Amino acid sequence: MLTYILRRLGAGLLLLAVVTLVTFAIFYVVPRWAGRTTEQLATMYVGRAPTPEAIQATIERLGLDEPVFVQFGEFVRGIFFGAEYRFGRDTIECSAPCFGYSFQSYQEVFPEIVARLPVTASLALGAGVIWLVGGILVGVVSAVWKGSLFDRLAMAVALAGVSLPIFFTGLLALAFLVHAWGLFATPGYVPFTEDPLGWAEGLFLPWVTLAFLHAAMYARQTRAGMLETLGEDYIRTARAKGLSEGKVVLKHALRPTLTPIVTIFGLDLGLVLGGAVLTEQVFSLNGIGRYAVNAITQSDLPVILGVTLFGAFFIVVCNLIVDLVYPLIDPRVRIHG
Amino acid sequence: MSESAPSSAEAVVRVDDLRVVFPTMDGEVRAVDGLSFELPAGGGLGIVGESGSGKSVTSLALMGLHRGSRARISGSIEVVGKDVVSASDKQLRRMRGNDIAMVFQDPMQSLHPQYTIGNQLVEALRVHRPQVSRAQARDRAVESLDRVGIPQARKRINSYPHEFSGGMRQRVLIAMGLMCDPKVLLADEPTTALDVTVQAQILDLLDELRRDLNMGLILVSHDLAVVAGSVDEVVVMRHGVAVERGDVRRVLSAPEHPYTQELLDAVPRVEVSRAQRRVRDRSDRAAKARAEQRRQPSGATAAGEGGEESFDAFAPARGPERGEVLLRVEEVSQSFRVRGGLWGRSTDFWAVKGVSFDLHQGETLGIVGESGSGKSTLSRMVMRLLEPTRGRVEFEGRDITHMSERALRPLRRDVQMVFQNPYSSLNPRLTVGDAIGTALRVQGEKDGRKVRRQVQELLERVGLEPNHYNRFPHAFSGGQRQRIAIARALILKPKLIICDEPVSALDVSTQDQVLRLLSELQDDFGLTYIFVAHDLAVVRQVSDRVAVMRKGEIVELGTSDGIYGDPRSEYTRQLLTAAPVLDPEEARRLRAERVRQRAADA
Repeated sequence: MLTYILRRLGAGLLLLAVVTLVTFAIFYVVPRWAGRTTEQLATMYVGRAPTPEAIQATIERLGLDEPVFVQFGEFVRGIFFGAEYRFGRDTIECSAPCFGYSFQSYQEVFPEIVARLPVTASLALGAGVIWLVGGILVGVVSAVWKGSLFDRLAMAVALAGVSLPIFFTGLLALAFLVHAWGLFATPGYVPFTEDPLGWAEGLFLPWVTLAFLHAAMYARQTRAGMLETLGEDYIRTARAKGLSEGKVVLKHALRPTLTPIVTIFGLDLGLVLGGAVLTEQVFSLNGIGRYAVNAITQSDLPVILGVTLFGAFFIVVCNLIVDLVYPLIDPRVRIHG
Repeated sequence: MSESAPSSAEAVVRVDDLRVVFPTMDGEVRAVDGLSFELPAGGGLGIVGESGSGKSVTSLALMGLHRGSRARISGSIEVVGKDVVSASDKQLRRMRGNDIAMVFQDPMQSLHPQYTIGNQLVEALRVHRPQVSRAQARDRAVESLDRVGIPQARKRINSYPHEFSGGMRQRVLIAMGLMCDPKVLLADEPTTALDVTVQAQILDLLDELRRDLNMGLILVSHDLAVVAGSVDEVVVMRHGVAVERGDVRRVLSAPEHPYTQELLDAVPRVEVSRAQRRVRDRSDRAAKARAEQRRQPSGATAAGEGGEESFDAFAPARGPERGEVLLRVEEVSQSFRVRGGLWGRSTDFWAVKGVSFDLHQGETLGIVGESGSGKSTLSRMVMRLLEPTRGRVEFEGRDITHMSERALRPLRRDVQMVFQNPYSSLNPRLTVGDAIGTALRVQGEKDGRKVRRQVQELLERVGLEPNHYNRFPHAFSGGQRQRIAIARALILKPKLIICDEPVSALDVSTQDQVLRLLSELQDDFGLTYIFVAHDLAVVRQVSDRVAVMRKGEIVELGTSDGIYGDPRSEYTRQLLTAAPVLDPEEARRLRAERVRQRAADA
């Protein structure tokens, strides 16, 4: 068990290292292949009025004239031990983990991401709970009363949920529920610690919009899995014992159905934690996703790199958690070292 | 725990004019049509029939498990005085597991994989006796597991189903059925998925429980030999109708209905030798051919000629003469790496250990053994689907032990295999014609019409119609599918065919037909077989020599009559006493012997 965890952790770290290498190469090496010079790269750091001296200073400061692998080594070293950048007589301390600093705002990347994490995490976790519970509930009811009006209606809505993009449903919700009818407050983020009610109120629409997309998928998955499980021999055994239909469904059929769903939930949650780009954009929430979008439009390479690594980190962690929890859900899965 | 027990004369199950109808696209299907029987308290009743006879539909109807499906049920089913057909859902639930408990066919699938067996047993009791505490229910579960012979029940109660073997899981299911002291235990093909010795143990257990607990037993099976020693009365079903019903001794010794006689003839008997069976099959075939000729004297030219031609077409290319050694297996072993343990140390598991035998041209070698004995691994090594870890395999004098896949390709023509499960060994998306013809194409035949003609001739040869060429496997029954599998093996005119449990998934009567076909093909084409099976009677009838395997080793190898007449090893003797027999008296005698043996071992 312990070796298994260690091995999985090792594999996760390796994966992150590979992601780092690849993203670094994409942002720092590929532009050079496309013909960008060191000066042009440095120009992006300098600001509005680049003088040749300022550019030269930046090149030296960031080591842009060094061989690529040295730069990569510096970057990785920064993550673990921090880095220092000298501006003439001033030095900027970038403490570990240092992902460099933004071309645009001259702010260190990592603290910026961390500052936005509560927004994204609140959005992801709240939506996650809603889509998990809602999706499974609808799926179970649809499977048990297969072919009923509820089933047909729910599956139609689910189909819509899968096919409608967030910038459509989200904008629709904003236009009608908030602006036209005024049923909900304008979405926004208030820290939970300051005002729990305001937090929930401000995030309610983003939650529902984000959850709608996923819940639709979960409902369809649950329904299909449930129908399959209900046909299993051990369900017949449970009925032959004299169990009530509710017990048969909730105790005997639901658990095996949930097993694969837990797997995708881990993946989906990890994905959203790395930035719910569309939802944050539509509802103007200042989370990691939005930070990434802005960075992309401004070619702010260190930020893009940082956000990508951050997202990869969450996916790796969520996957690891799912793999460790799996044997608790399904005793047939045994962890081998 | 039980209420006043009904006197032994009173019936605990009374079925009167039961009809079960399923509406389908092609009209109504009468799965059960006017069935009546009674089961006295503590009595034993066998329901026997082939698949599709309505026996399983009947057992589900007894439990009221058709509720919610589209089946229409009429007539009356009375279980311990309550009418199942008219009972409310709630009354029905109160009855299930409490008055009548059921044991199902497939113990591997019938227990919930994610709950411990203790949990499942406790649940079975507490659903009917909510006043019983969890701890008390656990004690009762331990007692019940103990009763059905689960060793160290108190410890094992916390295990999950996948930690038990098939036979043990069936015991767990029986223990679950016993939790509420039901008046009737309904066992639907409880031993079909199990090995012979395990089958005998389970049947012995059911018999013992029935006597000790005065519990009625309804035993449903496709095999008359399975019910012979365990019930008093037997109902023979066909197409939903009970064709015969009566005392088991009378039915088995002097059947009144021709269908019962047919079923009886189909049951492979361990006392029938290879030679006897051969003589019978050949005379049956000759009689059939004569009848055929008489029916169409003028058509003899067309049919006869065509038949003659196909005989030549499928005779194997002349290999070594009859009696020469075709295959030599020397000291082969196969090991698999097993990962396990807390720190993931892997160990070697030897599935086959130092097995040697020769196989002669035109001969059939039977390999008998229970699951896990290594018989399938051995046949896979002979096929060279697996590379032996140690030892040597020689085919026609050539060493093929470590031949590369490329070098093996010509050999693939000569050695073919027929697999156990005809339902999963045929690709559902390939037509029968393609499934059979592919092998020809792979071996280089380009002419599509030629392939088609050969496949159609072969289909006829194995007892199917040439126009089945374009159909898909799902349109065929299990027996027909196995014929298709045999045709697929034959198309390349192999010298050796390995049959891995070719009939164990089939009903007895279908079994008999497939065995006849195999023996006919052997006579006509001089085929050599390796016949792997767990059923001793079947193996005896088709094999010239028999190898008995256990735990990866051959414990006994000899002529089939020699081994069955005078078994040398203790294990072979055990297998022989475990084989089900048709004579109820003999069955009871063997059971007594097994019980004595077990008592002596303990």
